[in-house]
Amino acid sequence: MKNPICKKSLFCIFSGLLLFFYVSPVFSNQQEDVTSKFKKAVTKIDKSKQVDNTIPVPKNIIKATMEYQGGLFYTEARKNQIKRFKCSTCHNNKKVLISNAADISHADIKVVHGDKKNPLTCNTCHNENDRDFLVTGKGTKIDLDHAYNMCGQCHFRQKKDWIGGAHGKRVTYWAGERVVKNCTSCHNPHSPRFEKRWPTTYSVPLK
Amino acid sequence: MDSDKKKKIDRRTFLKGAASAAIVGGTAVTVGCEGKGLLGSSEAFAMEFTEYFKKHYRLMTQAERDQTVSRLEKLAKLKQNITVNIDTTQPAENVLYGYAFNVTRCEGYMECVQACVKENNIDRKSNTQYIRIFEMEHGQMSPDQGEGKYFHMVPKEGHFYMGVQCFQCENPPCVKACPTKATWKEPDGIVVVDYDWCIGCRYCMAACPYWGRRFNWNQPQIPKDEITKEQHYLGNRSRVRGMMEKCTFCIQRSRKGKVTACVEACPTGARVFGNLLDPDSEIRFVLENKKVYRLKEDLGTDPKFWYFID
Repeated sequence: MKNPICKKSLFCIFSGLLLFFYVSPVFSNQQEDVTSKFKKAVTKIDKSKQVDNTIPVPKNIIKATMEYQGGLFYTEARKNQIKRFKCSTCHNNKKVLISNAADISHADIKVVHGDKKNPLTCNTCHNENDRDFLVTGKGTKIDLDHAYNMCGQCHFRQKKDWIGGAHGKRVTYWAGERVVKNCTSCHNPHSPRFEKRWPTTYSVPLK
Repeated sequence: MDSDKKKKIDRRTFLKGAASAAIVGGTAVTVGCEGKGLLGSSEAFAMEFTEYFKKHYRLMTQAERDQTVSRLEKLAKLKQNITVNIDTTQPAENVLYGYAFNVTRCEGYMECVQACVKENNIDRKSNTQYIRIFEMEHGQMSPDQGEGKYFHMVPKEGHFYMGVQCFQCENPPCVKACPTKATWKEPDGIVVVDYDWCIGCRYCMAACPYWGRRFNWNQPQIPKDEITKEQHYLGNRSRVRGMMEKCTFCIQRSRKGKVTACVEACPTGARVFGNLLDPDSEIRFVLENKKVYRLKEDLGTDPKFWYFID
Protein backbone atom coordinates (compact mmCIF):
# COMPACT_ATOMS: atom_id res chain seq x y z
CA MET A 1 0.00 0.00 0.00
CA LYS A 2 2.95 2.26 -0.26
CA ASN A 3 2.20 2.98 -3.84
CA PRO A 4 0.00 6.08 -4.15
CA ILE A 5 -1.43 4.80 -7.47
CA CYS A 6 -2.68 1.68 -5.72
CA LYS A 7 -4.39 3.82 -3.08
CA LYS A 8 -5.97 5.95 -5.75
CA SER A 9 -7.30 2.99 -7.66
CA LEU A 10 -8.67 1.42 -4.46
CA PHE A 11 -10.43 4.67 -3.64
CA CYS A 12 -11.88 4.78 -7.13
CA ILE A 13 -13.19 1.19 -6.86
CA PHE A 14 -14.77 1.79 -3.46
CA SER A 15 -16.43 5.02 -4.43
CA GLY A 16 -17.69 3.37 -7.61
CA LEU A 17 -19.18 0.50 -5.60
CA LEU A 18 -20.83 2.92 -3.19
CA LEU A 19 -22.35 4.86 -6.05
CA PHE A 20 -23.58 1.60 -7.62
CA PHE A 21 -25.32 0.44 -4.44
CA TYR A 22 -26.82 3.86 -3.99
CA VAL A 23 -28.24 4.04 -7.50
CA SER A 24 -29.17 0.38 -8.06
CA PRO A 25 -32.60 0.44 -6.26
CA VAL A 26 -33.73 3.03 -8.79
CA PHE A 27 -33.18 0.65 -11.67
CA SER A 28 -34.33 -2.54 -9.99
CA ASN A 29 -37.96 -3.51 -10.29
CA GLN A 30 -38.58 -3.52 -6.57
CA GLN A 31 -41.89 -1.86 -5.73
CA GLU A 32 -43.42 -0.77 -2.50
CA ASP A 33 -45.29 -3.55 -0.73
CA VAL A 34 -48.94 -3.19 0.07
CA THR A 35 -48.49 -3.08 3.86
CA SER A 36 -46.26 -0.04 3.81
CA LYS A 37 -48.54 1.48 1.18
CA PHE A 38 -51.61 1.43 3.36
CA LYS A 39 -49.70 2.29 6.52
CA LYS A 40 -48.66 5.52 4.85
CA ALA A 41 -52.26 6.44 4.04
CA VAL A 42 -53.39 8.23 7.18
CA THR A 43 -55.21 11.25 5.84
CA LYS A 44 -58.98 11.13 6.03
CA ILE A 45 -60.82 10.64 2.77
CA ASP A 46 -63.92 12.59 1.83
CA LYS A 47 -66.63 9.91 1.95
CA SER A 48 -68.76 11.55 -0.73
CA LYS A 49 -65.91 11.66 -3.26
CA GLN A 50 -64.58 8.10 -3.06
CA VAL A 51 -66.13 7.09 -6.36
CA ASP A 52 -67.52 9.14 -9.23
CA ASN A 53 -70.89 7.52 -8.88
CA THR A 54 -73.44 9.19 -6.64
CA ILE A 55 -74.45 6.69 -4.02
CA PRO A 56 -78.06 6.70 -2.88
CA VAL A 57 -78.58 6.52 0.86
CA PRO A 58 -80.73 3.45 1.53
CA LYS A 59 -84.11 3.89 3.13
CA ASN A 60 -85.12 2.41 6.45
CA ILE A 61 -81.97 3.34 8.33
CA ILE A 62 -81.27 5.05 11.64
CA LYS A 63 -78.27 6.89 13.00
CA ALA A 64 -76.35 4.82 15.52
CA THR A 65 -75.93 6.19 19.03
CA MET A 66 -72.15 5.94 18.94
CA GLU A 67 -69.37 6.76 16.50
CA TYR A 68 -66.93 4.54 14.66
CA GLN A 69 -63.35 5.56 13.82
CA GLY A 70 -64.68 7.70 10.94
CA GLY A 71 -67.49 9.48 12.73
CA LEU A 72 -71.23 8.89 12.72
CA PHE A 73 -72.70 5.89 10.96
CA TYR A 74 -76.05 4.37 10.16
CA THR A 75 -77.62 1.00 10.74
CA GLU A 76 -80.77 -0.75 9.58
CA ALA A 77 -83.97 0.11 11.44
CA ARG A 78 -85.87 -2.70 13.13
CA LYS A 79 -89.21 -1.40 14.34
CA ASN A 80 -90.90 -1.15 10.95
CA GLN A 81 -89.81 -4.72 10.17
CA ILE A 82 -91.80 -6.12 13.07
CA LYS A 83 -95.25 -7.01 11.83
CA ARG A 84 -97.29 -6.26 14.93
CA PHE A 85 -95.43 -3.27 16.30
CA LYS A 86 -96.38 -1.36 18.52
CA CYS A 87 -96.51 -4.02 21.19
CA SER A 88 -98.59 -1.79 23.41
CA THR A 89 -101.57 -2.13 21.07
CA CYS A 90 -102.18 -5.52 22.71
CA HIS A 91 -100.01 -5.34 25.82
CA ASN A 92 -101.86 -2.72 27.80
CA ASN A 93 -104.12 -2.61 30.80
CA LYS A 94 -107.25 -3.54 28.86
CA LYS A 95 -108.44 -7.10 28.49
CA VAL A 96 -107.51 -8.79 25.26
CA LEU A 97 -110.65 -9.68 23.34
CA ILE A 98 -109.37 -11.05 20.04
CA SER A 99 -110.72 -14.20 18.49
CA ASN A 100 -107.29 -15.39 17.20
CA ALA A 101 -105.44 -14.47 20.37
CA ALA A 102 -104.14 -18.00 20.77
CA ASP A 103 -102.46 -17.80 17.35
CA ILE A 104 -100.69 -14.54 18.02
CA SER A 105 -99.63 -15.21 21.57
CA HIS A 106 -95.96 -15.66 20.62
CA ALA A 107 -96.17 -19.37 21.37
CA ASP A 108 -94.15 -19.98 18.17
CA ILE A 109 -91.10 -18.21 19.56
CA LYS A 110 -88.45 -20.57 20.89
CA VAL A 111 -85.80 -18.96 22.98
CA VAL A 112 -82.42 -20.63 22.39
CA HIS A 113 -80.29 -17.89 23.87
CA GLY A 114 -77.96 -17.83 26.80
CA ASP A 115 -76.63 -20.49 29.12
CA LYS A 116 -78.19 -23.95 28.81
CA LYS A 117 -78.67 -24.27 32.55
CA ASN A 118 -79.84 -20.74 32.94
CA PRO A 119 -81.42 -19.59 29.67
CA LEU A 120 -82.77 -16.13 28.98
CA THR A 121 -86.45 -15.47 29.43
CA CYS A 122 -88.66 -12.93 27.68
CA ASN A 123 -88.25 -10.34 30.37
CA THR A 124 -84.48 -10.52 30.39
CA CYS A 125 -84.64 -8.23 27.35
CA HIS A 126 -88.24 -7.05 27.02
CA ASN A 127 -89.38 -4.26 29.24
CA GLU A 128 -92.25 -5.38 31.46
CA ASN A 129 -93.43 -1.88 32.25
CA ASP A 130 -93.14 -0.25 28.85
CA ARG A 131 -93.81 -2.96 26.29
CA ASP A 132 -92.57 -0.96 23.29
CA PHE A 133 -89.04 -0.96 24.62
CA LEU A 134 -86.28 -3.30 25.70
CA VAL A 135 -84.56 -3.05 29.03
CA THR A 136 -80.95 -3.67 30.05
CA GLY A 137 -79.83 -5.39 33.20
CA LYS A 138 -79.27 -2.02 34.79
CA GLY A 139 -82.79 -0.92 33.93
CA THR A 140 -82.05 1.41 30.99
CA LYS A 141 -84.82 1.56 28.41
CA ILE A 142 -83.62 0.73 24.91
CA ASP A 143 -85.36 1.41 21.62
CA LEU A 144 -85.86 -1.70 19.46
CA ASP A 145 -84.04 0.06 16.60
CA HIS A 146 -80.94 0.35 18.75
CA ALA A 147 -80.86 -3.30 19.74
CA TYR A 148 -77.04 -3.36 19.44
CA ASN A 149 -76.91 -1.58 22.80
CA MET A 150 -78.95 -4.43 24.22
CA CYS A 151 -76.81 -7.23 22.70
CA GLY A 152 -73.63 -5.36 23.60
CA GLN A 153 -74.23 -5.89 27.31
CA CYS A 154 -72.98 -9.47 27.07
CA HIS A 155 -71.51 -9.54 23.58
CA PHE A 156 -69.30 -6.53 24.12
CA ARG A 157 -66.45 -7.98 22.05
CA GLN A 158 -68.75 -8.44 19.10
CA LYS A 159 -70.13 -4.95 19.62
CA LYS A 160 -66.66 -3.47 19.56
CA ASP A 161 -65.88 -5.37 16.36
CA TRP A 162 -69.21 -4.35 14.88
CA ILE A 163 -68.54 -0.67 15.49
CA GLY A 164 -65.09 -0.98 13.94
CA GLY A 165 -66.14 -3.18 11.03
CA ALA A 166 -64.75 -6.65 11.76
CA HIS A 167 -68.16 -8.08 12.69
CA GLY A 168 -71.24 -7.69 10.53
CA LYS A 169 -71.14 -6.02 7.16
CA ARG A 170 -71.98 -2.94 5.18
CA VAL A 171 -75.22 -2.67 3.26
CA THR A 172 -74.56 -2.76 -0.52
CA TYR A 173 -71.95 0.03 -0.68
CA TRP A 174 -68.36 0.15 0.52
CA ALA A 175 -68.14 3.84 -0.40
CA GLY A 176 -70.21 6.78 0.75
CA GLU A 177 -71.94 7.06 4.10
CA ARG A 178 -71.34 4.04 6.28
CA VAL A 179 -74.51 1.96 6.58
CA VAL A 180 -74.13 -1.38 8.33
CA LYS A 181 -76.45 -4.25 9.16
CA ASN A 182 -77.98 -4.20 12.60
CA CYS A 183 -77.56 -7.21 14.93
CA THR A 184 -81.12 -8.26 14.26
CA SER A 185 -80.71 -8.00 10.46
CA CYS A 186 -78.75 -11.25 10.48
CA HIS A 187 -79.38 -12.85 13.88
CA ASN A 188 -82.73 -13.92 15.17
CA PRO A 189 -82.66 -12.35 18.65
CA HIS A 190 -84.53 -15.30 20.14
CA SER A 191 -82.11 -17.92 18.81
CA PRO A 192 -79.10 -16.01 17.53
CA ARG A 193 -76.90 -18.90 16.43
CA PHE A 194 -77.10 -19.66 12.70
CA GLU A 195 -78.87 -22.89 11.96
CA LYS A 196 -77.22 -25.91 10.42
CA ARG A 197 -78.24 -26.35 6.82
CA TRP A 198 -77.19 -27.78 3.49
CA PRO A 199 -74.55 -25.90 1.49
CA THR A 200 -75.82 -24.25 -1.68
CA THR A 201 -73.26 -25.88 -3.96
CA TYR A 202 -69.86 -27.57 -3.82
CA SER A 203 -66.30 -26.65 -4.75
CA VAL A 204 -64.16 -28.26 -7.41
CA PRO A 205 -60.86 -29.64 -5.95
CA LEU A 206 -57.75 -27.53 -6.43
CA LYS A 207 -55.69 -30.00 -8.39
CA MET B 1 -36.64 -10.04 -72.76
CA ASP B 2 -40.29 -9.76 -73.75
CA SER B 3 -40.82 -13.47 -73.77
CA ASP B 4 -39.21 -13.73 -70.34
CA LYS B 5 -41.64 -11.18 -68.95
CA LYS B 6 -44.58 -13.10 -70.28
CA LYS B 7 -43.42 -16.32 -68.71
CA LYS B 8 -42.53 -14.89 -65.32
CA ILE B 9 -45.15 -13.32 -63.12
CA ASP B 10 -43.42 -10.57 -61.23
CA ARG B 11 -43.90 -9.97 -57.49
CA ARG B 12 -46.22 -7.00 -57.90
CA THR B 13 -48.74 -8.71 -60.11
CA PHE B 14 -48.66 -11.85 -58.01
CA LEU B 15 -49.53 -9.90 -54.88
CA LYS B 16 -52.26 -8.03 -56.70
CA GLY B 17 -53.77 -11.26 -57.85
CA ALA B 18 -53.48 -12.85 -54.43
CA ALA B 19 -55.13 -9.87 -52.77
CA SER B 20 -58.07 -9.80 -55.12
CA ALA B 21 -58.46 -13.57 -54.77
CA ALA B 22 -58.51 -13.19 -51.02
CA ILE B 23 -61.19 -10.52 -51.23
CA VAL B 24 -63.32 -12.65 -53.55
CA GLY B 25 -62.79 -15.67 -51.32
CA GLY B 26 -63.58 -13.70 -48.21
CA THR B 27 -66.81 -12.38 -49.60
CA ALA B 28 -67.74 -15.85 -50.76
CA VAL B 29 -67.22 -17.20 -47.27
CA THR B 30 -69.22 -14.42 -45.66
CA VAL B 31 -72.04 -14.78 -48.15
CA GLY B 32 -72.01 -18.48 -47.43
CA CYS B 33 -72.13 -17.86 -43.72
CA GLU B 34 -74.90 -15.39 -44.13
CA GLY B 35 -76.86 -17.89 -46.11
CA LYS B 36 -76.62 -20.36 -43.27
CA GLY B 37 -77.61 -17.68 -40.78
CA LEU B 38 -74.46 -18.19 -38.75
CA LEU B 39 -73.71 -14.55 -38.31
CA GLY B 40 -77.21 -13.20 -38.45
CA SER B 41 -77.26 -9.93 -40.34
CA SER B 42 -74.52 -8.30 -42.34
CA GLU B 43 -74.58 -5.55 -39.73
CA ALA B 44 -73.58 -8.01 -37.06
CA PHE B 45 -70.88 -9.37 -39.33
CA ALA B 46 -69.50 -5.91 -39.99
CA MET B 47 -69.35 -5.18 -36.28
CA GLU B 48 -67.76 -8.49 -35.46
CA PHE B 49 -65.20 -7.91 -38.21
CA THR B 50 -64.28 -4.49 -36.80
CA GLU B 51 -63.97 -6.01 -33.36
CA TYR B 52 -61.01 -8.06 -34.59
CA PHE B 53 -59.04 -4.91 -35.29
CA LYS B 54 -59.52 -3.03 -32.07
CA LYS B 55 -56.60 -2.13 -29.86
CA HIS B 56 -55.56 -3.38 -26.46
CA TYR B 57 -57.80 -1.90 -23.78
CA ARG B 58 -55.01 0.11 -22.21
CA LEU B 59 -54.02 1.67 -25.52
CA MET B 60 -57.50 2.72 -26.49
CA THR B 61 -58.65 6.31 -26.09
CA GLN B 62 -61.95 6.86 -24.31
CA ALA B 63 -63.65 7.46 -27.67
CA GLU B 64 -62.38 4.12 -28.97
CA ARG B 65 -63.53 2.39 -25.80
CA ASP B 66 -66.99 3.88 -26.21
CA GLN B 67 -67.08 2.67 -29.80
CA THR B 68 -66.20 -0.92 -28.96
CA VAL B 69 -68.62 -0.90 -26.04
CA SER B 70 -71.46 0.27 -28.25
CA ARG B 71 -70.52 -2.44 -30.78
CA LEU B 72 -70.55 -5.12 -28.09
CA GLU B 73 -73.87 -3.91 -26.74
CA LYS B 74 -75.40 -3.96 -30.22
CA LEU B 75 -73.98 -7.42 -30.87
CA ALA B 76 -75.54 -8.73 -27.67
CA LYS B 77 -78.83 -7.27 -28.79
CA LEU B 78 -78.58 -8.75 -32.29
CA LYS B 79 -77.24 -12.17 -31.37
CA GLN B 80 -78.92 -12.96 -28.08
CA ASN B 81 -81.64 -10.30 -27.96
CA ILE B 82 -80.58 -9.03 -24.55
CA THR B 83 -79.94 -5.44 -23.55
CA VAL B 84 -76.67 -5.20 -21.69
CA ASN B 85 -74.93 -2.16 -20.30
CA ILE B 86 -71.16 -2.46 -20.58
CA ASP B 87 -69.24 0.29 -18.82
CA THR B 88 -65.60 1.26 -18.77
CA THR B 89 -65.48 3.07 -15.44
CA GLN B 90 -61.91 4.07 -14.67
CA PRO B 91 -60.28 3.38 -11.31
CA ALA B 92 -60.93 6.13 -8.78
CA GLU B 93 -58.05 8.00 -7.24
CA ASN B 94 -56.86 7.10 -3.76
CA VAL B 95 -58.50 3.68 -3.89
CA LEU B 96 -56.74 0.36 -3.34
CA TYR B 97 -59.07 -2.53 -2.78
CA GLY B 98 -58.42 -4.96 0.01
CA TYR B 99 -60.27 -7.99 1.26
CA ALA B 100 -60.38 -9.89 4.52
CA PHE B 101 -61.88 -13.28 5.24
CA ASN B 102 -62.93 -14.27 8.74
CA VAL B 103 -62.02 -17.93 9.17
CA THR B 104 -63.91 -18.12 12.46
CA ARG B 105 -67.16 -16.79 11.04
CA CYS B 106 -67.44 -18.73 7.78
CA GLU B 107 -69.86 -21.61 8.18
CA GLY B 108 -69.50 -23.10 4.71
CA TYR B 109 -72.97 -22.33 3.37
CA MET B 110 -71.44 -21.48 -0.04
CA GLU B 111 -73.90 -18.68 -0.75
CA CYS B 112 -70.96 -16.61 -1.97
CA VAL B 113 -70.00 -19.16 -4.62
CA GLN B 114 -73.51 -19.18 -6.00
CA ALA B 115 -73.76 -15.38 -6.00
CA CYS B 116 -70.38 -15.06 -7.71
CA VAL B 117 -71.28 -17.44 -10.53
CA LYS B 118 -74.48 -15.51 -11.13
CA GLU B 119 -72.97 -12.04 -10.93
CA ASN B 120 -69.98 -12.72 -13.13
CA ASN B 121 -71.79 -14.66 -15.89
CA ILE B 122 -69.58 -17.70 -15.40
CA ASP B 123 -70.10 -20.78 -17.54
CA ARG B 124 -72.64 -23.13 -15.97
CA LYS B 125 -71.84 -26.15 -18.14
CA SER B 126 -68.29 -26.74 -16.89
CA ASN B 127 -69.22 -25.74 -13.31
CA THR B 128 -66.54 -23.05 -13.21
CA GLN B 129 -66.33 -21.08 -9.97
CA TYR B 130 -64.05 -18.23 -8.93
CA ILE B 131 -64.49 -18.91 -5.23
CA ARG B 132 -63.84 -22.21 -3.55
CA ILE B 133 -64.70 -23.03 0.03
CA PHE B 134 -62.83 -25.82 1.79
CA GLU B 135 -63.84 -27.68 4.87
CA MET B 136 -60.77 -28.14 6.99
CA GLU B 137 -60.05 -29.86 10.24
CA HIS B 138 -58.69 -27.83 13.11
CA GLY B 139 -54.96 -27.60 12.72
CA GLN B 140 -54.85 -27.78 8.94
CA MET B 141 -53.33 -24.74 7.33
CA SER B 142 -53.30 -25.02 3.56
CA PRO B 143 -56.56 -25.29 1.60
CA ASP B 144 -55.20 -28.07 -0.60
CA GLN B 145 -55.55 -30.33 2.44
CA GLY B 146 -59.21 -29.34 2.76
CA GLU B 147 -62.31 -30.98 1.36
CA GLY B 148 -64.30 -29.00 -1.18
CA LYS B 149 -66.94 -31.56 -2.04
CA TYR B 150 -68.47 -31.89 1.39
CA PHE B 151 -72.05 -33.03 1.34
CA HIS B 152 -73.64 -32.77 4.73
CA MET B 153 -75.23 -30.15 6.90
CA VAL B 154 -72.85 -27.30 7.73
CA PRO B 155 -71.19 -26.16 9.94
CA LYS B 156 -69.73 -29.49 11.01
CA GLU B 157 -68.24 -29.84 14.44
CA GLY B 158 -64.45 -29.78 14.68
CA HIS B 159 -64.09 -28.13 11.29
CA PHE B 160 -63.56 -24.67 9.93
CA TYR B 161 -64.11 -23.24 6.48
CA MET B 162 -61.66 -21.40 4.30
CA GLY B 163 -62.44 -19.55 1.10
CA VAL B 164 -59.97 -19.22 -1.74
CA GLN B 165 -60.24 -16.93 -4.74
CA CYS B 166 -57.97 -14.60 -6.68
CA PHE B 167 -55.99 -12.66 -4.08
CA GLN B 168 -55.28 -9.67 -6.36
CA CYS B 169 -51.57 -9.71 -5.60
CA GLU B 170 -49.71 -6.45 -5.50
CA ASN B 171 -46.81 -8.27 -7.18
CA PRO B 172 -48.76 -10.64 -9.41
CA PRO B 173 -46.84 -13.56 -10.97
CA CYS B 174 -49.60 -14.14 -13.53
CA VAL B 175 -48.98 -10.72 -15.05
CA LYS B 176 -45.29 -11.48 -15.49
CA ALA B 177 -46.09 -14.80 -17.17
CA CYS B 178 -48.47 -13.41 -19.78
CA PRO B 179 -46.77 -13.34 -23.21
CA THR B 180 -49.30 -10.96 -24.78
CA LYS B 181 -49.71 -8.47 -21.91
CA ALA B 182 -53.37 -9.38 -21.85
CA THR B 183 -53.47 -9.27 -18.06
CA TRP B 184 -52.30 -6.44 -15.84
CA LYS B 185 -52.82 -4.79 -12.49
CA GLU B 186 -55.06 -1.73 -12.50
CA PRO B 187 -54.11 1.31 -10.38
CA ASP B 188 -56.79 0.38 -7.83
CA GLY B 189 -55.13 -2.98 -7.34
CA ILE B 190 -57.43 -5.25 -9.34
CA VAL B 191 -55.73 -7.71 -11.68
CA VAL B 192 -57.78 -7.80 -14.86
CA VAL B 193 -57.77 -9.61 -18.21
CA ASP B 194 -58.43 -8.10 -21.63
CA TYR B 195 -60.37 -11.06 -22.98
CA ASP B 196 -59.74 -10.04 -26.59
CA TRP B 197 -55.97 -10.11 -26.16
CA CYS B 198 -55.78 -13.38 -24.28
CA ILE B 199 -54.51 -16.18 -26.49
CA GLY B 200 -55.42 -18.91 -24.04
CA CYS B 201 -51.92 -20.22 -23.42
CA ARG B 202 -52.68 -20.68 -19.70
CA TYR B 203 -49.19 -19.61 -18.61
CA CYS B 204 -50.82 -17.39 -15.99
CA MET B 205 -52.77 -20.34 -14.66
CA ALA B 206 -49.50 -22.21 -14.16
CA ALA B 207 -47.82 -19.16 -12.64
CA CYS B 208 -50.52 -18.49 -10.05
CA PRO B 209 -49.66 -20.13 -6.71
CA TYR B 210 -53.20 -19.64 -5.42
CA TRP B 211 -55.21 -21.50 -8.08
CA GLY B 212 -56.92 -18.20 -8.85
CA ARG B 213 -57.42 -18.37 -12.62
CA ARG B 214 -59.99 -20.19 -14.69
CA PHE B 215 -59.91 -21.32 -18.29
CA ASN B 216 -62.90 -21.53 -20.61
CA TRP B 217 -62.71 -25.02 -22.05
CA ASN B 218 -65.97 -24.55 -23.88
CA GLN B 219 -68.17 -21.71 -25.03
CA PRO B 220 -69.71 -20.37 -21.81
CA GLN B 221 -73.33 -21.31 -21.47
CA ILE B 222 -75.59 -19.19 -19.33
CA PRO B 223 -79.39 -19.31 -19.26
CA LYS B 224 -80.58 -16.14 -20.99
CA ASP B 225 -82.68 -14.89 -18.10
CA GLU B 226 -79.82 -15.34 -15.63
CA ILE B 227 -77.34 -13.08 -17.44
CA THR B 228 -76.26 -10.08 -15.38
CA LYS B 229 -76.97 -7.06 -17.56
CA GLU B 230 -74.78 -4.56 -15.73
CA GLN B 231 -71.35 -5.40 -17.09
CA HIS B 232 -67.84 -4.05 -17.24
CA TYR B 233 -65.43 -4.35 -20.16
CA LEU B 234 -62.81 -5.95 -17.91
CA GLY B 235 -65.29 -7.82 -15.79
CA ASN B 236 -68.33 -9.93 -16.47
CA ARG B 237 -68.98 -9.20 -20.15
CA SER B 238 -69.49 -12.23 -22.36
CA ARG B 239 -66.44 -14.38 -22.96
CA VAL B 240 -65.71 -17.00 -25.58
CA ARG B 241 -64.05 -20.38 -25.57
CA GLY B 242 -60.32 -20.56 -25.02
CA MET B 243 -59.55 -17.59 -22.81
CA MET B 244 -58.69 -16.99 -19.20
CA GLU B 245 -60.93 -15.32 -16.73
CA LYS B 246 -60.68 -14.59 -13.05
CA CYS B 247 -62.16 -12.87 -10.05
CA THR B 248 -62.03 -9.10 -10.53
CA PHE B 249 -63.46 -8.11 -7.13
CA CYS B 250 -66.66 -7.63 -9.16
CA ILE B 251 -65.11 -4.66 -10.99
CA GLN B 252 -68.53 -3.72 -12.37
CA ARG B 253 -69.79 -3.29 -8.82
CA SER B 254 -66.76 -2.14 -6.84
CA ARG B 255 -65.89 0.72 -9.18
CA LYS B 256 -69.37 2.09 -8.62
CA GLY B 257 -68.98 1.95 -4.85
CA LYS B 258 -70.77 -1.33 -4.27
CA VAL B 259 -69.41 -4.27 -2.32
CA THR B 260 -68.63 -7.42 -4.27
CA ALA B 261 -71.33 -10.02 -4.86
CA CYS B 262 -69.74 -12.49 -2.44
CA VAL B 263 -69.69 -9.94 0.37
CA GLU B 264 -73.31 -9.07 -0.25
CA ALA B 265 -74.34 -12.73 -0.33
CA CYS B 266 -72.42 -13.85 2.75
CA PRO B 267 -75.01 -14.68 5.43
CA THR B 268 -72.52 -14.63 8.31
CA GLY B 269 -70.55 -11.47 7.51
CA ALA B 270 -67.29 -13.35 7.23
CA ARG B 271 -66.15 -11.25 4.29
CA VAL B 272 -64.86 -7.68 4.59
CA PHE B 273 -64.18 -5.53 1.56
CA GLY B 274 -62.99 -1.95 1.40
CA ASN B 275 -60.47 0.70 0.55
CA LEU B 276 -57.03 0.11 2.02
CA LEU B 277 -56.08 3.76 1.63
CA ASP B 278 -58.99 4.98 3.73
CA PRO B 279 -57.86 4.97 7.39
CA ASP B 280 -61.48 4.72 8.57
CA SER B 281 -62.48 1.74 6.45
CA GLU B 282 -63.50 -1.65 7.83
CA ILE B 283 -60.63 -3.43 6.16
CA ARG B 284 -58.15 -1.13 7.87
CA PHE B 285 -59.84 -1.80 11.21
CA VAL B 286 -59.42 -5.54 10.65
CA LEU B 287 -55.77 -5.19 9.66
CA GLU B 288 -54.99 -3.01 12.64
CA ASN B 289 -56.99 -4.82 15.33
CA LYS B 290 -57.18 -8.48 14.37
CA LYS B 291 -54.76 -11.33 13.99
CA VAL B 292 -54.33 -11.52 10.24
CA TYR B 293 -52.31 -13.71 7.94
CA ARG B 294 -51.93 -14.20 4.25
CA LEU B 295 -51.62 -17.41 2.31
CA LYS B 296 -48.10 -18.27 1.12
CA GLU B 297 -46.79 -14.90 2.14
CA ASP B 298 -43.21 -16.14 1.73
CA LEU B 299 -43.60 -16.19 -2.05
CA GLY B 300 -43.48 -12.41 -2.14
CA THR B 301 -46.61 -12.05 -4.23
CA ASP B 302 -47.98 -9.57 -1.71
CA PRO B 303 -51.67 -10.53 -1.92
CA LYS B 304 -54.34 -8.04 -0.89
CA PHE B 305 -56.42 -10.78 0.73
CA TRP B 306 -56.04 -11.44 4.44
CA TYR B 307 -57.43 -14.18 6.63
CA PHE B 308 -58.30 -13.25 10.17
CA ILE B 309 -59.70 -14.81 13.31
CA ASP B 310 -61.92 -13.31 15.95
